[in-house]
Amino acid sequence: MFNLLRMDLYRVIRSKSLYVCFGILLLMVFTAFGLWYVVVSPQGLELLASLENGGNVQLTGLSKALEELDFLMLFRQICLDGGMYNLMLGIFVMLFVCADFQKGFIKNVMAFHQNRWNYVGSKLLTAAIVDACYLVGMLAVSLVLNQVLGQLVSPSPWQDLVFYMTWVWLLTTAFSALIILLCVLTRSVAVGAVAAVLLGSGLVVTLVYGLLDLLHLNGWLEYTIYLTMSMGPGHFASAGDLKVYAVGAGFLALYTVLTGIFLNKKDI
Amino acid sequence: MRTERDNPYAVETRALTKLYGGRAAVRHLDLQVREGQIYGFIGRNGAGKSTTLKMISGLARPTEGDIRLFGKPVSDPVIRRRLGVLIESAGLYANLTARQNVMMKAKCIGLADEASVDTVLSQTGLSDAGKKKVKHFSMGMKQRLGVALALLGNPDLLILDEPINGLDPEGIRELRQLVLDLNEEGKTILISSHILGELSKISTNYGIIKDGQLMEQITREELEEKCQDYFQIRVADVKRALPLIQEHFPALQPKVQDDQSIRIYGLAEGSRINQILIENQVPVYESGFHRMDLEEYFLNRMEGGTVNV
Repeated sequence: MFNLLRMDLYRVIRSKSLYVCFGILLLMVFTAFGLWYVVVSPQGLELLASLENGGNVQLTGLSKALEELDFLMLFRQICLDGGMYNLMLGIFVMLFVCADFQKGFIKNVMAFHQNRWNYVGSKLLTAAIVDACYLVGMLAVSLVLNQVLGQLVSPSPWQDLVFYMTWVWLLTTAFSALIILLCVLTRSVAVGAVAAVLLGSGLVVTLVYGLLDLLHLNGWLEYTIYLTMSMGPGHFASAGDLKVYAVGAGFLALYTVLTGIFLNKKDI
Repeated sequence: MRTERDNPYAVETRALTKLYGGRAAVRHLDLQVREGQIYGFIGRNGAGKSTTLKMISGLARPTEGDIRLFGKPVSDPVIRRRLGVLIESAGLYANLTARQNVMMKAKCIGLADEASVDTVLSQTGLSDAGKKKVKHFSMGMKQRLGVALALLGNPDLLILDEPINGLDPEGIRELRQLVLDLNEEGKTILISSHILGELSKISTNYGIIKDGQLMEQITREELEEKCQDYFQIRVADVKRALPLIQEHFPALQPKVQDDQSIRIYGLAEGSRINQILIENQVPVYESGFHRMDLEEYFLNRMEGGTVNV
């Protein structure tokens, strides 16, 4: 499997989509911090106050809310909680995996590696490594921007950052595993792209959640990847907060096993 | 002295069967390729050639039957190292260069030595194109790169499915020479092609497949004997005709085909035989030279089975 991983990493660093997707994520970080900088600048605050005094109910208390925001909350709001990160990661994983089948290089791989679980493991590890790089990269850029722009938001304890980053990495890797499963099953770029958009953005989960809410049957949806990411804890307070790891590990195992089973059943 | 017939099998299939939704693409195929052979695998489109080669390569799972490579199961990871494969079109990443594609395969199979990458590119005439992106390659260059990928790791057995597709005459000649050179080094080659003329120039053995079943396995020598030029006559009375021919033409090799037909090998001109028979009141219904090449032999097998051979 590690030979396959070496091969995949060799291709990853030479793929444009890796940098394009990361570029889009960084653009969102820069944009978010830029807008934040405008809002909390003296001119921005003046404008906010005038809007509040003008009776715009929606903006009432916004200033107070801004003061309560810390770095981790802002970082989550930029793209993680909303699903944009999963969408971009899903697009990258889809392009990376589908290329093997679309280009036919999979024949070269599978003629040598009879154990198809090695292929699944390699793809998953590659996705996890890219995921970690993306998350750490975004975090680093965000920390730097916050410092450079004069501490726009108050810093968060490093324990909270570590706690959050580890479970969100696990969950996003599980999401990558889902995209890998769909790509192996359908070998279709179109299906993979639609899945990355609909599932990554949370559109499907949000829709189902809303519908089931009418019947008060939506409780279990809190254990989906999207809602777990959106509602997961920012800091470790009790053992119950560890459920995010269980959700991530559970989905990761489920999708990995399904991928292996389907890959073994299908001819190349 | 050890002959080729004593060589162990590089590839052996037993009752190999592949069903797709109830339809048999390959049925009870018993194929044997000995080490050191160039085995030409011949069949029409849809006959089951690619399916068979995919199963041997491990890309498709047989429904029934067994495959052995060098006497070991096809799933043996050690044996897979001795196999190089090019099935249908070469699987290449268009946005990577030729060298990068080969490097990918090298890493995939655990090759640490980069010199072998340059070696296979050189063997397939792609040394100068190593830095060119594959999307700028012609079809022939892509096919040669596919062969280069198959050669990586110095495999003992090469499986090439339609390797000369898309090659120009010079490319075909180069590939033919490459296959012969590799065989000289001791490699076993299992090759399928529609271009029977090319196969006939290199193959030492042939397997003919029709509708998923192996019709025949034949050596080059046996094929040459069957395809040998001959003069065929159809007479009223073979029992009278044969002694006359043997008496007047002792150097010739007449062979009785049935109660009316005789084939005579080694004959340059046939009018004299007709004359002898007619002079001896043996009616000749039909006579003429027959020349058969691999293509005609194959077509005969496809259409007539053993009747026309």
